[in-house]
Amino acid sequence: MDDLQIIQLYWDRDPEAIAQTHQKYGPYCFTLAHRILASREDAEECVNDTWLHAWNGMPPHRPNVLRLFLAKITRRVALNRWKASQAQKRGQGELPLVLEELAQCLAQEGDPVTDAAVARELGECVRAFVRALPAREGDLFARRYFFTEPLEDIAGAWGLSVNHTAVLLYRTRQKLKDHLAKEGYL
Amino acid sequence: MNREDLYEAAGHIEEDILARSEGPRRPRRGRWLGVAAAVVALAVVGGVLLWPGGSPLVTTAYAVREAAYPETVAYPNEEDYLDPATGILDDAFSEAYDAWWASRQARQQPEGYADSLAAFWEKCLPALLGGQAGENAVCSPLNLYLALGMLAELTAGDTRQQILDLLGAESLEALRTQARQVWQGHYWQDGISASTLASSLWLEEGLPFREDPLDTLAEAYYASTYQADLGSEEGNQALQTWLRDQTGGLLEDQAGSVTLSPDTLLALATTLYFQDRWAQEFPKSTTQPGTFHALAGDQTCDFLRSDWTETYYWADHFAAVGKDLVSGGTMWFLLPDEGVAAEDLLTDPQTAAFLQAGGAWENQRDLVVHLAIPKFDLSARTDLTQGLREMGLTQVLDPGEADFSPLTEEPLWLGQARQDVRVAIDEEGVTAAAYTVMEMAGATAPPEEEVDFVLDRPFLFAVTSQDGLPLFVGIVHQPG
Repeated sequence: MDDLQIIQLYWDRDPEAIAQTHQKYGPYCFTLAHRILASREDAEECVNDTWLHAWNGMPPHRPNVLRLFLAKITRRVALNRWKASQAQKRGQGELPLVLEELAQCLAQEGDPVTDAAVARELGECVRAFVRALPAREGDLFARRYFFTEPLEDIAGAWGLSVNHTAVLLYRTRQKLKDHLAKEGYL
Repeated sequence: MNREDLYEAAGHIEEDILARSEGPRRPRRGRWLGVAAAVVALAVVGGVLLWPGGSPLVTTAYAVREAAYPETVAYPNEEDYLDPATGILDDAFSEAYDAWWASRQARQQPEGYADSLAAFWEKCLPALLGGQAGENAVCSPLNLYLALGMLAELTAGDTRQQILDLLGAESLEALRTQARQVWQGHYWQDGISASTLASSLWLEEGLPFREDPLDTLAEAYYASTYQADLGSEEGNQALQTWLRDQTGGLLEDQAGSVTLSPDTLLALATTLYFQDRWAQEFPKSTTQPGTFHALAGDQTCDFLRSDWTETYYWADHFAAVGKDLVSGGTMWFLLPDEGVAAEDLLTDPQTAAFLQAGGAWENQRDLVVHLAIPKFDLSARTDLTQGLREMGLTQVLDPGEADFSPLTEEPLWLGQARQDVRVAIDEEGVTAAAYTVMEMAGATAPPEEEVDFVLDRPFLFAVTSQDGLPLFVGIVHQPG
């Protein structure tokens, strides 16, 4: 079914919206959730939560790109679930590696941001940083730190060695650290 | 702030970048392909010609004032730093990479620095590309902007004011600041992509002139000034050589045909040479011949083809797709609806609005786009005088009114102004095969998840920079 039609189903409050979304984007969202959670069961639950959030989000939202709208929800839901489960288990999946890399952008790890306005500003800061990157660096950054994709997969898609990809990402993280410092976050 | 906050912040990455990053990739190859374009703009004033900045070997002998160009740092060739056995990049790569990055960052201009030019860009489309129905047309609004900025420096009174008004500048100083930013934001040669702006002023031997404006041109516009026997064989050769050098040989034929008349007193020339690669290359195996339905009749040409997820845009009278370039710029392709001429889009306010929106357009969707673009290599010479007049520059064109007093007391006026532009797009290799013409779905909301976007009839294109400024805009009537 066409994305516009699926979105319209949400706006019409027709439960068929979720069935259609699941059929079309279930595997896509599952892959993303699984990278973060490293558990089939958790990822499936995360995807179901995603549909619920989508149901609550449309209306008022009318996403331009339904796929990415869902990816953003999945990512957020999966991260929250991952945080909640950290007391019990550690070190699984791609997310710990990705977070470890991102920690290198910080002078030192501090308390979590709890102010929504500060979180939004930080998001805006990172958005502007990625927007200014050359296309390749921006794409590598998005695949690693948004889609949480394993280095091997990114390297394969770009025809680069894993080390080469890691070095390029490392350089970009250094730039992000500089950018965060310049903007007063570090 | 902790690592998870940063991960959450990455959720703010814009959708166009996310969508782009999901696209298919191919192994990096060390060669140029994609888009190449160049422009030479020439303004002749009362027999005076202004000329773009030049080759030291040829023109130093004539130099009155030479601009110092900022150094550009090449992107390190990764192969040079790679241990073939381990695939590991050595530390020297990081140093070279940092140097390249710093050079690139130094060129980044503040957001919105060129917003005041919106009205000028909008006026450029009909003024520079109109009036040539049925023929290929291409121009460089960015190049014209810089040429007009230089002209403002050399003029005074109402002559200057008309230029400032056209460019939306509050004052000459504001224009100068902005022009410098535009220049710096669009000059690089880092091995990944190239955008070379050059400008020069050529003065007839013996013409008395003041030096102040020449200093300003060198500092704000990176323009060099030369003095020579304009119109002589020697003078023409120097000029032609300079033009060839500035445009990467892309305008070889046009440069060779440029001659000044012996009564030329001053000439202003600006060039922009641009070369970039597609962020996602077209698979060479899918390039196939097809039929292009030109007004003059059908012609066969090769079509670049891809079937990737793209953002598909639509407006009242056209549909559009943008292909990202490695530099961060974009090449936009606008296909008029059936029954709408490509020229009609020039006066459609949605066209300028779309090209300035940089993808932030309400009517858009991500779809699998079956894209077919004719390979083209088009050149056009545009006489700018009528277009400039239409845009309100009457004084500078009037022998009795033009005021060039900041430069000289000699009576000068803009007698000629033209742009020679060549734009070519390509990919590597061609495989001939049968081709089936696909139907265009029309520029309404696409009904399904896939859409055909086949540029098999006259269309409009634009190359915009990472800053969103229009480097080249054109209409393709005959690709071959």
